[in-house]
Amino acid sequence: MGKLKKILLLVAGAALAVFAQEDSIKVEDIAFSKAYLAIEGGEVYPFGDLSDATYNTLYGGLNFRYSYWKNVDGVVMFHYSYFKPRPDVVPYDGVHQASGKLGLDWRFPAISPIVVGGGFACNWTRADLDDGVIKDEIYSKPGGTLGDNETEFGWYARLNLAIWNFRDYRVGLNVMWEEIWTLPKRSDMLFVGLYVERKLW
Amino acid sequence: MKYSSLILPLLLTAGMAAAQIPAEMEGMEYETRADGTFLIGGPTYAFDRVMGAGGMHSESELWTPAKLRDRLLFNRWSGTPTWTPLDPGVWIKTGNELGDMIYQDFITESHRPENRTPILEGGFRSPAYKGFWATARFYQDDHFCSGSYVYRRDMVDGNYTHLGSNWAMFSTVYGGLGYTNSLINASVLAGEEFLWTYTATSLWIPAHYKPRVEARADIKDFSVTVAYEDIEYENQHKKEEGSRKEVNGSVYYKCGKACEKGMFQIAFRAVDDEGDVFTELEEDRVAWPFMELRVQPLQRLTADVTFGVNERDWLVQDSIQFVAPAPENMGVVVGVKNISGSRMNPLADTKEFYDGREIDLTADGQMNLIQAYASYVDTLAGVVAIGGRGSLWAEHGAETFDVDEFMYSEKFGMSVRTGEVSRINDWIKGVTAELWLNTWYRDMFKFTAMAGYEHISGPVDNAEVTPAEFYSGFMGDWLLNKTFKISHSLRYRSDAKWNLRSSNPMVVKGDWTWDASFSQMFPKYGITLTGTILHVLADESMETVNGGYDRIRFICQAKKTF
Repeated sequence: MGKLKKILLLVAGAALAVFAQEDSIKVEDIAFSKAYLAIEGGEVYPFGDLSDATYNTLYGGLNFRYSYWKNVDGVVMFHYSYFKPRPDVVPYDGVHQASGKLGLDWRFPAISPIVVGGGFACNWTRADLDDGVIKDEIYSKPGGTLGDNETEFGWYARLNLAIWNFRDYRVGLNVMWEEIWTLPKRSDMLFVGLYVERKLW
Repeated sequence: MKYSSLILPLLLTAGMAAAQIPAEMEGMEYETRADGTFLIGGPTYAFDRVMGAGGMHSESELWTPAKLRDRLLFNRWSGTPTWTPLDPGVWIKTGNELGDMIYQDFITESHRPENRTPILEGGFRSPAYKGFWATARFYQDDHFCSGSYVYRRDMVDGNYTHLGSNWAMFSTVYGGLGYTNSLINASVLAGEEFLWTYTATSLWIPAHYKPRVEARADIKDFSVTVAYEDIEYENQHKKEEGSRKEVNGSVYYKCGKACEKGMFQIAFRAVDDEGDVFTELEEDRVAWPFMELRVQPLQRLTADVTFGVNERDWLVQDSIQFVAPAPENMGVVVGVKNISGSRMNPLADTKEFYDGREIDLTADGQMNLIQAYASYVDTLAGVVAIGGRGSLWAEHGAETFDVDEFMYSEKFGMSVRTGEVSRINDWIKGVTAELWLNTWYRDMFKFTAMAGYEHISGPVDNAEVTPAEFYSGFMGDWLLNKTFKISHSLRYRSDAKWNLRSSNPMVVKGDWTWDASFSQMFPKYGITLTGTILHVLADESMETVNGGYDRIRFICQAKKTF
């Protein structure tokens, strides 16, 4: 093996440090070989400037987890929450938010049973307008843009801690940091929730 | 080395290719390219000039047989929105320009940022049953819709889109049936479409296709395309309304060896206008017979000619390419390319109308572009390739625009011009030099670094766009465990300038930009989940007069192939 090749291998290897190259057929077989469905509920805490914008609130939803690689799982989450604005000038009671997340969970044996994960987040929001409120009339007021549907993307990172395993069931703690790419500033929130998960296959 | 015999020709032709970042919509691949000047006005319009191509024109302005199934939008060929049926599968795509306020809206009373807009797509194509299949697709790109937003909004009745109220640059829905076997690939699609087209005056013209019907058939080497379009135009600012019924299409024969004798093909358009239509096709029809010829007198020498002529125009594009003898692992190509003609796009409309004035879209005389080039590639140890391409070009009679008057509207923040298409009756000369380096490790890792420089002399400020002088790009693709793909692209382009679309030339500042894409793949199930972030790092800028802002955008797609 040439020297150059070695150097290149090293460069490529560094980027791949955590991902051992597995046999492709095996990898394909691992994907979706196991799947789990969870129901989760907890509280959301706005951070930074955002804590002046909304109150803490509760959230709930479903998580779907599937095997992807040997030590990596794929995760799809769908959570609903209802945010109440802090400023009185906002012309409605609250905002419906549906949050979708798609990402990966890594199981590092060294820190087991904690699993570290991350991925993309997409939040869909819509103000809970009273009957008779005309969207165009409130548009330029604080909160007005949410009169119509608004969607924004971002990322999340999470710690997933399995507390208790029993046969096909697991109870765990999910701690998530979410940053949505909003303007004028990014929107950060912390999710802390408990889930009950059942193995599907 | 076996590897190089496969890779060499690829590197020579596609060594400068873009990274594997998916464009937000088909036909918008220019938004992820590094190797030239790509100024986006919106999903239906971009000035897209590859540095190595030579001449002052952009790629979409020039008619070629390869664009027979592209859409003709005003006088340019556009891959967006394409009506080419996708492969069997089911897919959904959504995205957004980043920067909506969401809850920041509660605490942001002043300097509220402009609303950001999404992209949406969903569709399917069924697996074939006894050769028959069905397909349907809805796709709409609301990005860049800030281009002349207020003017456009008041120009039309209603929302002018299938979904939402952003006056998206295009919104298309179609459905249809197809039949595929080993000899035939045929389809008939029908749909409804809202499109905004950027014109010579710098206005966006709305067109509502209801319906558009397109039939295609590929029978062995024959390709036939016919489209029927019933288009409605309106301008509520002036209470103008009009309609156009158009039939266009082509008959084409893909000849292999037979091309040595020459083959005859034809593209055509016929229109029937009523009321206020903002453009005109002379005599309401154009037929464009053309011929393609490839001659290979020696294995190393190839000559290609494309020649078309009708009663109004003629256009010749020819090239001679020689693959020089070179040591193993090395490739050298030298060639000469020529484009001459009375019009770059002989199928386009011939007049535009604005405010009672006529804008002639054809120019007298002819243009001549000649380019000589040499490119080489050298592979080392089967894991690194170094390549370069240099060219000299000279163009006389380049198509440009002779401005009569600029009109600026404070109310809409828009600049409109009148005048006529004309020529730069002088020589413009250019010299280009491009270098690239590729390295790869099996199918796990690929990296490309590239840079290009071009010097242009002559009356370049008389051209629509003064292209960027310098570019560089760094692209990397990782494939982890054969099932997770990370692609990224970091690029720089120096200043470019629109010379003739506003009373003061509009400089598009040079900038760095970064794109990244992540794909989870499940080959066993044919599923791919992709998240892509485009245009990070760069300043939010307007790249075309009256165009939309090029903002950071995130797009995610889920696809299952059958």
